[in-house]
Amino acid sequence: MKIIETSRRQFLQSGVALCIYATSSTALTRLPTDSTQSTSSLDKSPKITPFLCNMCRNKCAGLARVENNILTKIDPNPLFPKSRNMICPKGNAGIQALYDKDRLKYPLIRMGKRGEGNYKRVTWDEAFEYIKDRLVMILEKEKDNRSTIMSCNGEGFNKDEYIQFFNGKIGSANFLDEGSICLNTKLGATQLTIGDIGEPDIAGSDFVIISGANRFESLITPDSIDLIHNKQKLVVLDPRCTVTAIKADEYLPLNVGTDLAFCLAMTYIAMRDELYNKVFVQKYFKDFDKYREHILKENYRAKWAEGKTHIPADTIERIAKEFFGAKRPLYYMGRRSVWSKSDFQFRRAMILLNALAGSINKKGGIVFGKPIKLPQEEINTPIYDNAEGRFDLEGIVYGSRKGGSWLNFREQVVNKTAPYSVKAMFIRKHNLMQNMPNITKTKKMLEMMDLVVVIDTLPSDTALMADVILPECTYLEREDRVVSFNRLEPSLALRNQVVEPLYESRSIQNILKGLGNKLTKPLFEVSKKYDEDLQDSIKELGKLKAFNEGGYDLAELYKNDITARNKNLIVKAFGKEAYRSLKTKGVWYPNMEKYHKEIFNNRYEYYPEEKRHYSVKRDFKVNCYLKKLAKNGFDAMPTWRTEYDFHVPKGKFRLITGRNVTDTQTATTNNSMLRDLIETNHIWINEKIAKELSIKLGDIVEVASSIGKIEIKAYPTNKIAPNVVWFAHGYGVQNEALTNSFGHGASDNILIEDKFEKIYGCATMHHTDITIRRV
Amino acid sequence: MANYGMAFDYKLCINCRACEVACKEENGIELGASKHRLWIKEEGNPSGDFWNLDRTQSHFMQMQCQQCQDAPCLKVCPHEAIYKDGNGIIRLHNDKCDLSLDCVKACPYDARYVDTRKKITDKCIFCADTRLARGETTTACQITCPAKLRIFGDLDDPKSEISQVLKKREYFQLKVDKGTKPKLFYLK
Repeated sequence: MKIIETSRRQFLQSGVALCIYATSSTALTRLPTDSTQSTSSLDKSPKITPFLCNMCRNKCAGLARVENNILTKIDPNPLFPKSRNMICPKGNAGIQALYDKDRLKYPLIRMGKRGEGNYKRVTWDEAFEYIKDRLVMILEKEKDNRSTIMSCNGEGFNKDEYIQFFNGKIGSANFLDEGSICLNTKLGATQLTIGDIGEPDIAGSDFVIISGANRFESLITPDSIDLIHNKQKLVVLDPRCTVTAIKADEYLPLNVGTDLAFCLAMTYIAMRDELYNKVFVQKYFKDFDKYREHILKENYRAKWAEGKTHIPADTIERIAKEFFGAKRPLYYMGRRSVWSKSDFQFRRAMILLNALAGSINKKGGIVFGKPIKLPQEEINTPIYDNAEGRFDLEGIVYGSRKGGSWLNFREQVVNKTAPYSVKAMFIRKHNLMQNMPNITKTKKMLEMMDLVVVIDTLPSDTALMADVILPECTYLEREDRVVSFNRLEPSLALRNQVVEPLYESRSIQNILKGLGNKLTKPLFEVSKKYDEDLQDSIKELGKLKAFNEGGYDLAELYKNDITARNKNLIVKAFGKEAYRSLKTKGVWYPNMEKYHKEIFNNRYEYYPEEKRHYSVKRDFKVNCYLKKLAKNGFDAMPTWRTEYDFHVPKGKFRLITGRNVTDTQTATTNNSMLRDLIETNHIWINEKIAKELSIKLGDIVEVASSIGKIEIKAYPTNKIAPNVVWFAHGYGVQNEALTNSFGHGASDNILIEDKFEKIYGCATMHHTDITIRRV
Repeated sequence: MANYGMAFDYKLCINCRACEVACKEENGIELGASKHRLWIKEEGNPSGDFWNLDRTQSHFMQMQCQQCQDAPCLKVCPHEAIYKDGNGIIRLHNDKCDLSLDCVKACPYDARYVDTRKKITDKCIFCADTRLARGETTTACQITCPAKLRIFGDLDDPKSEISQVLKKREYFQLKVDKGTKPKLFYLK
């Protein structure tokens, strides 16, 4: 979204017209190359390092150019199947993440009150010492209940070893990640329905329907890229006319959160007219008759869905027939946060539509594929007698045992209904003070802690609440564990280190190693005092043997550095050539040299058509009916409930959220290059309504919900429904130390009421009604 | 020596602005909303009522110096600071520019801006003094583009991808009535 078109000539002539929106002409903190310099001064043989981006969750492959120890440019790595030889605006701006002047540079310990922002610089050892003293005190008080120490992580890379450290070695049951404020309902619905999470094959599909997932402004590789190039018909449903909607062959505007009704009507038409793939249904479906009977009995006709969605009945009829008449139809499941309490049912309805069309384990559908399996590094983890279980999945039907439910966790901590006290939090790359609905409550939770440790690259709003801040280096300053990507065109990719860590920042491995070494003995002593099993073990084996065999060395995983660990693992599993390829080219897959070839203008083929894993031999079932849901009082099959109806009281607007193509939540808002493109967020309001309320472009408006109030600039447009408003997530930071982003825009999570659905415990984002007025 | 031009498969653009960032990083362009060698222009915003939007005129257009064969900027510069290099790219002798701004006003494409640090009028030069000078064959915007909609190459080489595509597909150029003979082509 570009708010204002600027003519530079007009600017010169009129002088003032765009001052309000023009970003100040701050010089770059680091100039890559000066275009005035003579060509002879260019470094013609700079160091090029293949690496993986980390500006969002995608992990696209790039080639970093380093001249005189300075990263001067990032280009795409053409070898990586997933990212299709491209780097997005955020990836290009990664240079500014590395050289961000606001970065956390040294370990810090809080001096004043939480939230005041007064910290003193300390050494790493002082920081670890402080953490140790607090943890020993907390564990003494909690009699070695390790679950009093919670940890969370919002970054995909190194998550597993972070969990290994805090869950495995430290022994806490409480680990949380971003899944419950993101897409867990989708993962769960797919897993429970077809036994796997699968992967959508957009490139192979000839008819794609997307409900709300904004693939051209929230880029997912390779999906977004394949969607640009392929000639398939694209139908987009969205309550806001996004860029994805603009580019679609057919755009179906609809009421917020009514996509499930559209899916049910499509299912009804398929059942009524027997459009489904009978051979596939016969072979793979379980409880098909039950589902068919249910859909027909509930009478989910197109006319019924029109009343719910605002999509004309004849359009629904036509789209359903086109979808089931296509050779390789795909209802794209999306990758996005959870909107409403019907979200799980909605995702189920989508996967079942794919299955009815036979688009599972097949070209153009949801493919299982053949991922390259990476061996796990085995470590010995202690069993703590007094460690209690997690409580955040109480009352949740399924839930993720790995990442839990954030809102339920916070609710129980804040209301003191948890079965024990949580007293310490280790927060890595997870901006709790901005990332979930109701910031006031998050603040309250953090204030209840005896120890808050934040591990991050930037002084986030959450860092402002920390007792200890540990500066992690950025993705460009470290090697990470090799990762296996994709199923249809699988590959391994390695994040190589581009430059040495700046300031005193460290990789997460080095942070956990230091922390582990500091904590091992004192924490073992606490267990020795309270853990009867350990006491018995010491009696039987002696202290040293009990320690070693029990796996109490917290830094065990870090005996070898990450480079040695990668080498051991890769060479052993895939051979020396694979390792050499990953180190020098960043990517490896079987027959890469043979398969990889240019098609045209820097576009490549990664696997020849016949070598892609469209279909694999596998026994699987499509589960129409989930008994566990019925047992817990939920609908065992996708069903519409009147409480899902879209209704906004007069004078109010439904708030929906999303993001700009240049942003990854709050992680990129301080990036000088990206801030240069989009300075702030604006609230989208229907232009006719704006006129009635005398709201003009750029006006400051006050937006209020039942839990909070913000001020934000307005963007009247015809691209949003009259009773809906939208603005991008990621703005409105509170920490002044983020000098590029502080003072820009507003935060959606001040307004969004904290509610969560009870099947996966996911925060729902699109249920809050607001009022709006010009200030 | 070559005769460089660029073709755009412009309908593929999703306005992600990767090109803009790649250009700024590669060429050290100063920050600021009005400081850029290239930009994406939103054309024909959807019209009508929300429930019945007409999106047929909505396009994202890649805008930058059109590398005119008959360049108005070159003609009007009082100091002969602007020249065509051996690769057919309109360039600037930075030391000769005194910011008279005649070139900025003369350009029908709004392609030039004032670089306040270097005190020159700057514009796209196909990464001539950065990537091409290193011996690379792509521009920063082209190589990073998710849509790979930018086709850059030698118009005098019949085997180049740009020559091939211009032979095969229909295209249009911007403001041809100005007689500028631009070397940028928008593929229909």
